[in-house]
Amino acid sequence: MNPQDVTTFILAGGKGERLHPLTKDRAKPAVPFGGIYRIIDFPLSNAINSGLRKIYIFTQYKSLSLQRHIREGWNIFSRELGEFIDMVPAQKRIGEDWYQGTADSVMQNMNILEEERPKHILILSGDQVYKMDYKRMIQQHIENKADLTISVFEVPRQDAHRFGVLSVKDEKVVEFREKPSEPTADPKNPDVCLISMGIYIFNLDILIKRTIEDAKRTDSSHDFGKDIIPSMIGKENIYAFRFIDENKKDTKYWKDIGTIDAYWESNMDLVNLDPLLNLYDRTWPIRTFQEQYPPAKTVFSGEERKASVTDSMLSGGCIISGGKVTHSVLSSNVRANSFCEITDSILFDNVNVGRYSRLHKVIIDKNVQVPQGTEVGYNPEADRKKFHVSPNGIVVIPKNYKW
Amino acid sequence: MAKKILLVEDEENERLLYTEELEKEGFEIKSVADGKLALKIIEKENFDLIILDLQMPMMDGIETLGSILMKKRNLPVIIYTAYPQYKDQFLTWAADAYLIKSADLTLLKEKVAAILK
Repeated sequence: MNPQDVTTFILAGGKGERLHPLTKDRAKPAVPFGGIYRIIDFPLSNAINSGLRKIYIFTQYKSLSLQRHIREGWNIFSRELGEFIDMVPAQKRIGEDWYQGTADSVMQNMNILEEERPKHILILSGDQVYKMDYKRMIQQHIENKADLTISVFEVPRQDAHRFGVLSVKDEKVVEFREKPSEPTADPKNPDVCLISMGIYIFNLDILIKRTIEDAKRTDSSHDFGKDIIPSMIGKENIYAFRFIDENKKDTKYWKDIGTIDAYWESNMDLVNLDPLLNLYDRTWPIRTFQEQYPPAKTVFSGEERKASVTDSMLSGGCIISGGKVTHSVLSSNVRANSFCEITDSILFDNVNVGRYSRLHKVIIDKNVQVPQGTEVGYNPEADRKKFHVSPNGIVVIPKNYKW
Repeated sequence: MAKKILLVEDEENERLLYTEELEKEGFEIKSVADGKLALKIIEKENFDLIILDLQMPMMDGIETLGSILMKKRNLPVIIYTAYPQYKDQFLTWAADAYLIKSADLTLLKEKVAAILK
């Protein structure tokens, strides 16, 4: 496989409405994750770790934050060597509409494919957290002489009804159903179903033909998962690729972090002893943009006034000044002042927690000053009056909130 | 009711010729001289088919085709051009037919009839 033959499209237009208010001012791929990362850093890192260097990111809603992140953190390729990461905002090149669906973004940027004429197009979602070597998938696609390869994830049968489920015969896809009430089991294991991860490899001519065909349909939502893939079943050579997790653990990790509760849980997973998502493996590094900050620091070691940090992640510039941080994820430049208690929480950049404040199961977005003696996460009724509270009781304080 | 065709063609002589010939076949023809005008008129009037030249001033046929597709997704289009080399422009694949201009209009008439039958 020659990586030069592959052009990567990352669909980063997701609004992420269920992640509100974290997506109030930013597209879902730009939502911070794991202290220093943004969600889009995962597919981007996977792509460069897989040797792919021709990358287009299709953006749409609230893309300023995403653009800034890519410009500041991912300006690492040499165009002279044919390498690039290009942001493609909805330009309304043809037509006057925004992208109506994922396939529409390809349709409206047909000129890119015309100029590049890659053999294969890898289509990724900018919304997902996972570690994957796309080379293996492309290799299999070529060996199978497939027109389309869909990466699949195994889920327990009882959970499959929430996803797009594939039926396979000798790994060839014979059926695709969106949210089926009775999902078909994996022929290799009756307890699991194979769901589409929204990761596709298309051959160029098939992608063009099917996208145009779909564009002409008035009854289509112009989405790969909902419209194009189902219309191809039985007509084209479609294979499933069983996801291989570069975390190399017994349980595979792939998350489309759709809700606040899922977001909180996947961040909390990172501070476990042996997280499923290993960010410390130097053979599959996840890179990002970070401002330069001094190292995280803890001060005060007296009997009463004592900094304490356990089961937590601290990013650069944090100062734990006589506060207690337990089982939490702190982004850059967070300050925890004396006698405060932060447990099971996620604090974004530049959050300052005042003395004697207590935070429990709280997500605080950027640039928030928590006044001295504030309590959040202990009284759901009071919290609900001021903030968004998730079904599992996670309180979210929005960016720039002023008490 | 007669089926209605929009002819997009910058050469006046050709416009007149195709209009006359297709009217003989019983179709109602409207014609415009460039892509921009074509996009305006399809906003206001309904057509059953568009016959589209590719090399035109103002807005070329391929760009016009893309915009037609986004505005009127299932409206059939026949590309009628003197140049075969645009076939490798992916957007032309969105047309229902790609015909090369010829003095004999039989092929065009047959295609029109087949699409509108």
